[in-house]
Amino acid sequence: MTVKSFEKDGVAVFQVNGEINISTSPDLKKHFEKLAAKKVVVDLTEVGYVDSSGLATLVEMLKKTKSQGGSLGLAGMSEKVRSLFEITKLDKLFPIFASQEEAVTRVK
Amino acid sequence: MAKKAVRKKEFRLPSDLAEVQKASAKVLAFLRPLSLSEAASFDIRLCLEEALINAMKYGHGLRPELEVRLAAEYDDESIRLTIEDHGPGFDVDKVADCTQKSNLLRGSGRGVYLIRQLMDEVEYNAKGNRLTMTKRLVGPETKRLRKRE
Repeated sequence: MTVKSFEKDGVAVFQVNGEINISTSPDLKKHFEKLAAKKVVVDLTEVGYVDSSGLATLVEMLKKTKSQGGSLGLAGMSEKVRSLFEITKLDKLFPIFASQEEAVTRVK
Repeated sequence: MAKKAVRKKEFRLPSDLAEVQKASAKVLAFLRPLSLSEAASFDIRLCLEEALINAMKYGHGLRPELEVRLAAEYDDESIRLTIEDHGPGFDVDKVADCTQKSNLLRGSGRGVYLIRQLMDEVEYNAKGNRLTMTKRLVGPETKRLRKRE
């Protein structure tokens, strides 16, 4: 997994490429903690696999962002990854957007 | 009535998380003759990896010298995966429902829940250290599970 992070219109964007699983999710968390941003978009367009550790890491990122009065949105999920959010009802917790552009516009 | 041909493979894995993906890749390779769809392969991989992680982490405390037994088998009707550890076992009914509003922000419990949702049959032994999960290949789900001819 690789994570590219950058700022776009005042929003920290994390563009993830690969899998968010038990081996890689600590890396995503590290990237997130390094930036300590209040407005965050995690772009999952290039993510083909997420396990329960990945879901837990995203929940943790959401919790931290919200506890600092910020907001976090997810963008560009594949149908399969989105289905995991639906099954676990995490789609009720996260704002989910079709694209990074839309997510940045709504989160900023 | 003709007996169903069953293909079976067993693995013994040290309790090391680095082994999880290697094992799921081997199982998916073993299941290749079934021409599973991408979605079905995703579900099987996810459930298998979640079960192996739980066995290694909670059953064995990630002590590599303790081996997890994994058996994969299939016939024309179903795929069955059995994961067994040497731990004290756990009561699956005591795992909090991760989809309850009050539990949505919790960090754990989703692996077991996903297994129950994505597989057709899930069975634990009385001790709670052996899980057998089944994905059916026949019936209304067949088209979704197998690639189009």
